[in-house]
Amino acid sequence: MIRYAFFLGCQIPMRLPNIEIAARKVFERVGLEAVDLLGYSCCPEPVISRLLDEMAALTISARNLTFAEDLGLDLMTLCNGCYETLIEANEVLKHNAEKRNRVNEILKRYGREYKGKVEVKHVVEVLYEDVGLDKIKNCVVKPQKLKIALHYGCHLYREYKSPDIMRKPNMMKEIAVQTGVEIVNYGLERLCCGYPSMQADEEFSLKKRLLIKLDRIKDAGADAVVTACPACMIQFEMGQIMLRSYGVKHSIPCINLMELLALSFGVPYKELHLELHRSPVLQLVKRMEVV
Amino acid sequence: MTADFESNLISYLRENLGEDFLEAYKQRERRIFVKVEPSAVRRVVQLLKNRYPMLRFMTISAVDNGLDMEYLYHFHIDGIVLTVRSLKPKEDNTLESIAYLIPAANFIEREISDLFGVTLIEHPEPKHGLVLTKDWPDDKRPLKKPLEGILPPKARPVAEALISSSCVAPISSFIQRKREAAGLSKSAGFAFADEKSISEFHSMIKDTNLSEKVGFDWEKRRLRYK
Repeated sequence: MIRYAFFLGCQIPMRLPNIEIAARKVFERVGLEAVDLLGYSCCPEPVISRLLDEMAALTISARNLTFAEDLGLDLMTLCNGCYETLIEANEVLKHNAEKRNRVNEILKRYGREYKGKVEVKHVVEVLYEDVGLDKIKNCVVKPQKLKIALHYGCHLYREYKSPDIMRKPNMMKEIAVQTGVEIVNYGLERLCCGYPSMQADEEFSLKKRLLIKLDRIKDAGADAVVTACPACMIQFEMGQIMLRSYGVKHSIPCINLMELLALSFGVPYKELHLELHRSPVLQLVKRMEVV
Repeated sequence: MTADFESNLISYLRENLGEDFLEAYKQRERRIFVKVEPSAVRRVVQLLKNRYPMLRFMTISAVDNGLDMEYLYHFHIDGIVLTVRSLKPKEDNTLESIAYLIPAANFIEREISDLFGVTLIEHPEPKHGLVLTKDWPDDKRPLKKPLEGILPPKARPVAEALISSSCVAPISSFIQRKREAAGLSKSAGFAFADEKSISEFHSMIKDTNLSEKVGFDWEKRRLRYK
């Protein structure tokens, strides 16, 4: 049995539990034990905490990493943002003794110590490297006859293990292919969805980032967008709703890679609580059922 | 000789102020900064008067930092310039006068009061209109800034949620119901669900000074500004 400490982050359990539901169904079928962390906190959110106070951000990350160290397990994230925050903190703390000592000075007051003993992995890496494509393919009982556009999410390009920043995006692509979908290339896969810039400039974020992607995805004939990141999913779903106030209408369904896998593994869509989506995912899936 | 004098001055204040003495540093030769609790400023002035007959009060600088008022009391002592710094939260919009100890502080305190709208405590002449006209509106002081910290408006709810609840996306009862219906735990193991964990998280945040930087009020469990 493959075992990982499971870092859920904030957005998935609090806003998009449908991703967590799908992920747990997928893990069950591929033989992956995700051990929940009790008492964890936000990774933390990078824009505010890391920019304001690096030591605070490192301390919060280190505290989260100690939960995985206590379990003696590497840590797996479902969220691109949590992945980047935690892997960066892990790298900094492993290689910068001064910062590690300063963080540990605080952690020790609470009986904790960051030892640098665990690795941080995105779920895409775990599925590709630990589970393997063959096992994933064997679990597919209901191939999805869909044309999909992949949106990997900026943080998935963050790479410490290889000079190839496409390592994880390519893993995601290969995993998605196992579900029977046809992947359409729309040429703007690497463009940010605009989620981070929403706080600074909503119009720029929606019209100069998201809309450009949506237009190209629609032109490429995709039935849906598949993401690996909850924040990107929020942007794709809520962004399409918000774009209506700018006179633009798009209705492209957006689902997470875990949901695509769960559907292809034969999990009934009703169990996946797809009604939580803010884009027409349920309609798409019901249409597929009829087909 | 000067170095000894400077060190003695710092030691004298540190020993007599105890915990109210926060920090001291020498910016360069003959230029010393001492930071003290605001409640200790009068005591500092009295201590300086007691020990240094050549003490000369120069002026007070007031700076509106957004969340706090910073007061810098500048003194000249035998060729050395000493600045006593104190920081007061802007919610407490008062300044304890030192004019009864140093009459020369009378006008500058009134000027600060006029320009920043600060209420003077135990000032011998607490009258408005030293540098402003007497009918100047109370709510429009030329140098007073709004009560604001360093976070832009859209980042405030995120910071507030992170510090107060350990999680940046507060859970709604609708999502809790959906989680339960799907057989998931209500709070997904978050620190806020457990008294010991959230208490540890809060203490760590305090240890890192993040809450101080963003202006978080621990009693009210929210930012000091909206």
